[in-house]
Amino acid sequence: MTNEKQYPRATLQEYGYRDFSKFEKPLTVLKHILFFVIFLMLYLSIIVIAIQSVNSSVRTSEFLSITFDWYPNILQEEDLMTAIRNTFIVSFVATSIATIAGTFFAVGLYSLEKKKRQKIMLLNNVPMLNADIVTGFSLMLMFRLLMPIFPNIFGLFTLVMAHLFFTFPYVVLSVMPKLKETDPNLMDAALDLGIKPYKALIKVVIPAIKAGIFSGMLLALTMSIDDFVISYFNTGAGFDNLSIWIYGVIGRRNLTPSVYAFSTLLTLFTLAGLMGYTFIQHSKKGKKGELK
Amino acid sequence: MNKKPLIELINVTKSYDGEKVVDNLNLTIYENEFVTLLGPSGCGKTTTLRMIGGFVQPDDGQIIINGKIFNDLPPYARPIHTVFQRYALFPHLNVLENVAFGLRNRNQEYLINFFGQSEIDRLYKEAYPTHEKKNARALHKIIQTMIDKAAQDALALVKLTGFEQRKIDQISGGQQQRVALARAIVNKPQILLLDEPLAALDLKLRQNMQYELKEMQTKLGITFIFVTHDQEEAMTMSDRIVVMRNGLIQQLGTPKSIYNEPVNRYVANFIGETNIFPGTYVKKDLVNFLGVDFKSQGYTFENNEPVDVVIRPEDFDVVDIEKAKLIGKVTFSLFKGVHNELDVDINGVKVMVNTYETYEVGQSIGLSVDPYEIHMMKVENNG
Amino acid sequence: MGKTFKVLAIPYQIWLYILVFVPLIAMVLIAVSNYDSSVPLNQINISLNHWSILVQRQNMIAFRNSVVFAVLTTLISFVLGYFAAYHIFQSKFKNKFIILTIVILPMWSNLILRVDALNNVFSQNNIISSILGFSPFGNITGKPIAILIGLVFTYLPFMILPVYTALEKIDYALQEAALDLGLTPFKKFWKVIFPLSIKGVVTGSIMVFLPTLAGFAIPKILGKGNFLFIGNVIENKLLSSTIFYNHGSLLAVVILVFILGSILLLTRFDKEGETLL
Repeated sequence: MTNEKQYPRATLQEYGYRDFSKFEKPLTVLKHILFFVIFLMLYLSIIVIAIQSVNSSVRTSEFLSITFDWYPNILQEEDLMTAIRNTFIVSFVATSIATIAGTFFAVGLYSLEKKKRQKIMLLNNVPMLNADIVTGFSLMLMFRLLMPIFPNIFGLFTLVMAHLFFTFPYVVLSVMPKLKETDPNLMDAALDLGIKPYKALIKVVIPAIKAGIFSGMLLALTMSIDDFVISYFNTGAGFDNLSIWIYGVIGRRNLTPSVYAFSTLLTLFTLAGLMGYTFIQHSKKGKKGELK
Repeated sequence: MNKKPLIELINVTKSYDGEKVVDNLNLTIYENEFVTLLGPSGCGKTTTLRMIGGFVQPDDGQIIINGKIFNDLPPYARPIHTVFQRYALFPHLNVLENVAFGLRNRNQEYLINFFGQSEIDRLYKEAYPTHEKKNARALHKIIQTMIDKAAQDALALVKLTGFEQRKIDQISGGQQQRVALARAIVNKPQILLLDEPLAALDLKLRQNMQYELKEMQTKLGITFIFVTHDQEEAMTMSDRIVVMRNGLIQQLGTPKSIYNEPVNRYVANFIGETNIFPGTYVKKDLVNFLGVDFKSQGYTFENNEPVDVVIRPEDFDVVDIEKAKLIGKVTFSLFKGVHNELDVDINGVKVMVNTYETYEVGQSIGLSVDPYEIHMMKVENNG
Repeated sequence: MGKTFKVLAIPYQIWLYILVFVPLIAMVLIAVSNYDSSVPLNQINISLNHWSILVQRQNMIAFRNSVVFAVLTTLISFVLGYFAAYHIFQSKFKNKFIILTIVILPMWSNLILRVDALNNVFSQNNIISSILGFSPFGNITGKPIAILIGLVFTYLPFMILPVYTALEKIDYALQEAALDLGLTPFKKFWKVIFPLSIKGVVTGSIMVFLPTLAGFAIPKILGKGNFLFIGNVIENKLLSSTIFYNHGSLLAVVILVFILGSILLLTRFDKEGETLL
């Protein structure tokens, strides 16, 4: 069917609107630039640290030449290695406990009535919102008051306790929404098939919420690895983690550039982990598309 | 009929992921009519609706409204409003503000035009008899009051007077649907798009709403374009139905013509349970099926051309066996309240027959059918 | 979920009461006591003598600094953070996980190290200037602008994430409905999107305001000690030869009042804590 009739185009003006389309392109460019600047500022310190890590000069105010020597040198710096080791011990222990126990806590909380749950959630949110200094200080006070009973309490134990204090809420808050999203009949279906409740929990519910568990774990690890203030107030017996050690050394200006190297390595490692995860996700999706 | 065309879709095509969802569609829709796009999921009806609304751009073809090409015009500029499938009511506003939302956000020039200068002047004089010249703030107040009234009137139209201050999470699904309707019609659009709005309602409510919508369309005189997969719904409300499949129009016509004269198997089966028999058009007014010759009327094919014969279950008449052209045995009987649905076996072919009387399984009955109730379709490979 | 699992919540309840409730009570009690490192545990009793520190000029300036910087930081973070979150939201980026990680990534590096790196860049002769030949930030080290920049970009992720979460939760059909009813994209943002994202804004603001108010490391390093924040005052109480637990507790309690107020405000807007992540 041929329709030779030429129709005129409808315009914005005839329906009472102004045409701003000529502003669209420049505005978009401006937005992208602003976003880029913000992004750059967010990562500025990371970039500087990375530069420092390959700086052959020990003085941070000048860049001499590129060298990668500081990277293997990490292993030579005893104090640094101890601090790193301590950090990882505390963080991994705390994160592991927080993730496993926190998931079960979340399940328990989810099973409660709304009113009771909301009251407990109020307490749950306190560690996240509370200022580090108040948390650190109050925990320290409490541990201090327990010292007559446990004279050597300060050290690894208090540090892990303190870290658990602020990592539990992150796990709980990551898992809860996923629990809410799961089909409420899932559990019933499992029970109906004759599986005992706790087994059903592990075999059915946990896999359904594993995204929440994973992001909770990630958040907990992030918060724990970089914690400074709370650890500062709650450690003892010379058990320094990385943050405390750096804070101490930075005043003395003889910080070994290997610290920068380590920090950059950590950043790159996390970035690689992210890329790997995304890659896996995309290849899964790709397979699904082909099956269709 | 000298109705003016309001919307013309010319060679409209849309593809997603290489698949043609709307395939070279040509359709004309007139003023003041209730048109339904009918078809199963994925047939392209919703995409077509959204292209008319401006939410989707066609890959090819033109969408002509009011004689102008609308392809590039954004949805907000089109004189078209939509009732969304899941209502899309604004949770941060109460019912009245939801309904008034469109008008509240128009500029003054538009509103003066909308309500009419004379009406505004009248109300202004009433409220401010002492003002010599119009005060900007007072004028604004008057207009806002007029918007309030328009919203209240719209709510009255959908029978929700008194619900103005309610929060939208405090009202039922059926009530939300009506608020969505009020929100669209208060703006007096030329065209109203309805995207399966009754899908989430229970049966009784849905049936009530079908009548109300039809009434409203007649009263308001605006064109309703309705999308559904429910053929009963389409039959109840529409002036015309567009049966779609895989992005193509299968048949376009009044409910009656589609029901009685489907053009292919797909349409015949879609519009309700029906019998389709392979047959032969012997010659004019004579068709042969189920091994018997029948008088027919109204169709013209090639002599001895094979045809698909369509006879609705309710069009069979039960007659005395001696006088019957067809004799069969009842193999299944279901009481449906209004009628009985029977399966009758005639020479090994299962024939569906609806009767008022009840017949036992195993009983032999005689059937006949009037010539004007025999419908024929061209045989297709993939009908 | 099943009533059998209610019991799982009990250990957590106990934990929360012991480790959240009790230390706070302890701190409040010590704030009204005479406890410092010179006082043995069996000689603690109630005393309000030290409450005079609240009106000491130095401490009042510290309070003022903390509040002023906290408010400014929150406002600037709100503008930049909302913009960034909205930009990401509009860019049709499908994977929230990537965004979460990219925004959090800087936080994996040590805070002190990062702040020190910023301090480096804010000084006259720094690593950037030695490469590029000029210092992009001039010499702002020690000045309030340095502290402000440091605070804003350290805590910006805490504004971006909740706002982004809130934006993601907005039903897309609502945007279409707004356009359908005649609103231009500009109006649609102000009348529909922004009001529905307020939850995230409130959360984000609190997540920026509180650590800024109570922080001490960032102002110390970037301000070169020129500006005293209330956090610095508390830190000093602990580093002096006599550790003034009661002074520190008192000041911490003041901060706590701010915090509790914020938590109550948050629960009014976001009951289930959805945007906290």
